[in-house]
This record gives sequence, structure tokens and C-alpha cells, in this order.
Amino acid sequence: MSGRIIGRAVAVLVLLILALFTYPGADVASLAVWLTPPAIGGSPRASAGGLAWLHIEHPAGRTAYIADPQGRLVLLHGAIPGGMIDFWSGAGSSNLTPKPFYPIDPSAYEGRCPDNSSLIRVPPLCRSDIAQMAAFGFNSLRLPISWSLLEPARGQFSQTYLARIAQVVDWARAEGLYVIFDMHQDAYSRYVGRASPPPIPGGDTTDLQYDNGAPDWATITDGFPSEVFGGQRELNPAVLEADSNFWYNRAGVQDEYIATVAVLARKFMNDSTVAGYSIFNEPWPGWNLPPGWEDLLLFPFYRRVIDAVTGVHDGLPCPTHIYMPAPCGYPDLGVRDRNQLFFLDLGLPREITDLPTHLDLAVSSYPNLVAGLHAYTHGYTPDSIFLHQDPDKASYPWGGYEQTYASAERESRAINAALMVTEFGNDPKWDPLILANELIEQEQHRVGFAFWTWKENCGGAHSWGMFEGIECSKSKQLQAQPPSGCLRPGRERLLARVYPSASADPNLTFHYDPSTGAFELRASGQFGDVPTVVVIPVEVTGSVTVSGAVAGEPAISQQPHGVRIVTVYPSGGAFSISVAAASLAPLGCDTSAPS
Amino acid sequence: MLGLLALPFGILSPFAIVAGTRSLRRIRASGGTTIGAFSAFVGLAGGVMGAFFLVAGVIFWVATS
Repeated sequence: MSGRIIGRAVAVLVLLILALFTYPGADVASLAVWLTPPAIGGSPRASAGGLAWLHIEHPAGRTAYIADPQGRLVLLHGAIPGGMIDFWSGAGSSNLTPKPFYPIDPSAYEGRCPDNSSLIRVPPLCRSDIAQMAAFGFNSLRLPISWSLLEPARGQFSQTYLARIAQVVDWARAEGLYVIFDMHQDAYSRYVGRASPPPIPGGDTTDLQYDNGAPDWATITDGFPSEVFGGQRELNPAVLEADSNFWYNRAGVQDEYIATVAVLARKFMNDSTVAGYSIFNEPWPGWNLPPGWEDLLLFPFYRRVIDAVTGVHDGLPCPTHIYMPAPCGYPDLGVRDRNQLFFLDLGLPREITDLPTHLDLAVSSYPNLVAGLHAYTHGYTPDSIFLHQDPDKASYPWGGYEQTYASAERESRAINAALMVTEFGNDPKWDPLILANELIEQEQHRVGFAFWTWKENCGGAHSWGMFEGIECSKSKQLQAQPPSGCLRPGRERLLARVYPSASADPNLTFHYDPSTGAFELRASGQFGDVPTVVVIPVEVTGSVTVSGAVAGEPAISQQPHGVRIVTVYPSGGAFSISVAAASLAPLGCDTSAPS
Repeated sequence: MLGLLALPFGILSPFAIVAGTRSLRRIRASGGTTIGAFSAFVGLAGGVMGAFFLVAGVIFWVATS
């Protein structure tokens, strides 16, 4: 009889523990987050280089937005350069662990730029790249960096790589560009291995060229073979196992990752040039399934990173270095960074569905959160990857381009975050359709963007860069090529666009027509409001006119690269800012840069 | 087992509730010849909890988004 009672007690205990570890626990933890007053930001520190600190404004009943110290809506426009990513590189497939291709030591980039190469998919990131970005009117860049270079040996952080990152931040500050650090990964790591020939029928040999992220010591594949299925780098047993081991914190790898983000934050927390941190790029569930993966593993992981770096105490105190269930928080690692933004990638499965794949349970009371949308409609949605339909004949998404933006807006409200498109891009031949429509959606939803990618080699039609990169086929390598390939005219026309970089009216509307160079913005304001600022890239030549309730003439300043900055003070009421249609002045293929 | 799985995978909770309810009815109707009432109850409880928190989560999402 007593054995039966003990058995029942154990069964009830198991039920309660399982409930605590899963949705019931996650729901209660999320409710607690909603009821917790927002963690107060740190005292604003002086910004070393003049860029204003950014934070998130939370207007009642509306979607939160990125704002400057005056509370103005800030739109970030920029690109994503891949030159700092620890990609696999080489001519043959025999070497599974080649050294980083480009120098990590910042001295190799002082006043010069290492040679580009067809042995790696991206050109090096150099000073001239940042200047080129500024010339397009961009005010930010999303900078992908690699855990494998930050912490090449367990517990040992590379001061050289941190110095290299600081070098790029210095360049960005000099050009007035914000930097969003992107803890980048694709298919977990370039150290997942390559099984050749593939042992499981139906698989193909892994092409490691785009795999990157975790260091070798944190890549736990448990002997699963590394081969890809369906041509998708993430559909690889070794990748699935390594990802799963990360989410379950096998051997404390998640603790090491959190420590790495903390090291990064400790170095840059006083620099307002660094807008914030994309905590984990395009997370992939491994063997887990949505929605449990996101709600019980991914988003609680985001909470732990934020807890560790900001010192807010959301979630339960739990032991570390073992599996940490959904309600768990993380100890304060003493950084106390409360002036920067955290970008929460909504996950790779969501890129496929263009719809939320989980419940979006709020994970943190830290107020400066941004939902990072990766908008790849017709790129990675089922119509493309499963049905192989052209975008102009696609049967999905049913809600068109709007579907992913409208649903992401709801997701961002659910997690109490602002929204930004932290990645989007496409095959260049579909620019007039995909890229043009994505940009229209971003205008309508008033969200900023980071374009994938800045420059990319070896692709022809398969490289997605704003610059087409150098040719890698042996027959074309011998021809004279610009160091980073030519700027794609269609991309320049669409992406070097007029936009409001800041406005006191978060409800403003605006539209840029890339076919004519015309721009129209409508907003309203009170007398004494801080000004609305419009950026006009060098390619756009039309004259500026202002009408309505504005105080005086607009101030138009010319930046070093020819970018015009228009500043308009409202006088109380509605006003508009227009740029007249005029012939565009494209830069064309600049073979002199970078040098 | 279905009830326990309904906690991380709320979509399974209706099946757990149906299976747990049917098992309890059969056990009661057997007049003591079929055992496992407690296991069936735990499964049913897991299913109910899974369903409740799934529905609560969805309502929470709709309310906050």
C-alpha cells in the first residue's frame, strides 16, 4: 500500500516538474514578465563619437519603435557585409578545418585592404566599404561576426578579433553609421564535418562554403554524418544534432555562448555607435519541432542572454551548465549593459512559413528589444524551396508580401518589442518584383532594413550582393575584374533611396519611387517638436520642397559623400517634404574601390 | 504518456484527454478487473493542463499582439 502511495506521489511530482519545464511553466514565466515593470535603462553615458544612443519607445496601444534620445522614430537603413564571418575557404574539399581566410589582425587593414579571392565567397571588409555604404545614404550596418573567432578555444577570447571588430566600429563611427552586431551562424558551424561519400542514401556531400558559427570545440555532432538532404544545408544530421545539443546546453556550450556575448558587450557597452546585438542569427531547431522549440528553448535562451548582459532578473534562478528549462533566467554576469538594443531573430522556420510558428511568449522585461524579421518571401517560402515556382507565378504566401510584415508586427507587440527587417535579399534577377515589393512593405510598416548582402563572390546569378563580386570560374578569373566586382545597377537604384532617418511623428507616411527619384513624406507635429530628418543619397538629384506647417525653410546640408540631409522643423500641424522627380545619377561600376 | 507529451506539445492534449477519459470509464466499468486508474488520471490531468495552457497562451498572444 505504501509503495502504491509512493508511486503515485512520484507520478504527480513528475507531472508537476514536467509542467514547470514546459508550456505551463513558460506561460507563467511570460505572464510574470508582462507584470514586471520595465527594467530601467542605465544612466545615459556620453557617446564617444557623437552618435545618439538608441532605445525603444513603447507608445500605448501601438507597436514599439526604435527611437533616439528625443523620442523620434529612427529608421535604420543598411547592408550586411560578410567579410568578418569565419567561412570555410579553399580550393579543394580535403581540408575540413582551414584557418580563417582573411587576416584577423586589424593592422592588415590600416590604410590597405587584403586582396579579394575566389577561394572564399565574400571579399574582405575594409575601410572603403564603410565609406561606400555611407555614400548610399545608409545610416547603419549589420555586422556579422563569428563565435568561432571570438572564442576559438574554450574560455579564451580573442583580443585580436575584438580589436578587429573595434576597428570596424571606429570606421562606422567616423561615417556616422550605427553598427548592429550579428552573432552570425548558418548551419551551426563550419566544423560539422563532411562525410564523403555520404553514408545515408539520398544525401549529398556537404558543401561547407556557407556553414559558419560555432567553434570546433562547441560543435557536438555525436558522430552523426554530415551530409545534406534536399540541397538544404540545415537538413544535415550533424547540423541537427549539433543544434539540438546547443539548445539543451550539452557540455555547457550555451553558457559559453552567453559568456561570449557578455565579453562583446563589456567591450562596447559605452559606445553609442553599437546600436545593439543580434543574439543569434537564423536559429534552427535541430531535431526539435515548433512551437515548443521556440517557446521552450529559443526564446528562453534569449532571456538568459539578456539577463546575463543587462542584469535584469527575469525567469527563475536555475543551475547553469546543464539543461535549463523554459522558465529559467540567468545570473547577472556583471556587465549591466542597459543602453543597447537586443535583436531577437524570430527563427528559421518562420522564414519558411512567413507566419508565426509559435506563441511569442514575452521573455524579458528589458525594454530595448527588437524583433528581427528575416523577410525572404519567394526566397525560402514553400513555393520556392518545395514547389520551385517562379515568384511571379507563386501559389504562396496567400497574403502576398504583406503577410510576413503584418504577422511580424503582431509578434513584435506580443513580445513587447520593436520590429526591424534584420535580413532580406533575393536572386538579383527578381529585383523588380521581390526587392521592389519588400521595400514598399517596409515603407508602409515604417521599419528599417539590413540588406543581405553587401558583396559576394563567385555567384553570377547566385550571388545576392549589392556588388556582384568577382567571378570564380577558372575561365573568367583571368579577365580584369574590379576588386569586389561591380555594383549592380538595379540594386543601387532600389536600395540607395530617400527615407526619413528620424521623425517626431511615428505615424508619418512616406514613399520613394525608384523609377523617377521622386519622394513624398507626410507627417504632423507640434510647434517645438524636434525636426524630421530626410536622407537623400547621391544618386537622387531632384529638388526638395516643403509645404504645410513648418517653421522656416528646410535646412539642407551636403555630406562628404554627396548625400543630402534635409532637416525640417514642424510649426504645428500637417506638413510634407517632397523630392521632385529627376534623372538619377548612378555611381556605376567603381573599379577603383576598395583599395 | 500522451498526457505527459501534451505538456510540451499542446497539440496532443485533446488526444490525451479523450484517451484518459475513455480509459477511466473502461476501468470503472470493469468492476476492478482492469487496473491503471491512476495512470489514466495522470494522463488526463496532463492533457487538461496542456490544453488549458495552450488555450491560455493563444488568448494571451491575441490579447497582447
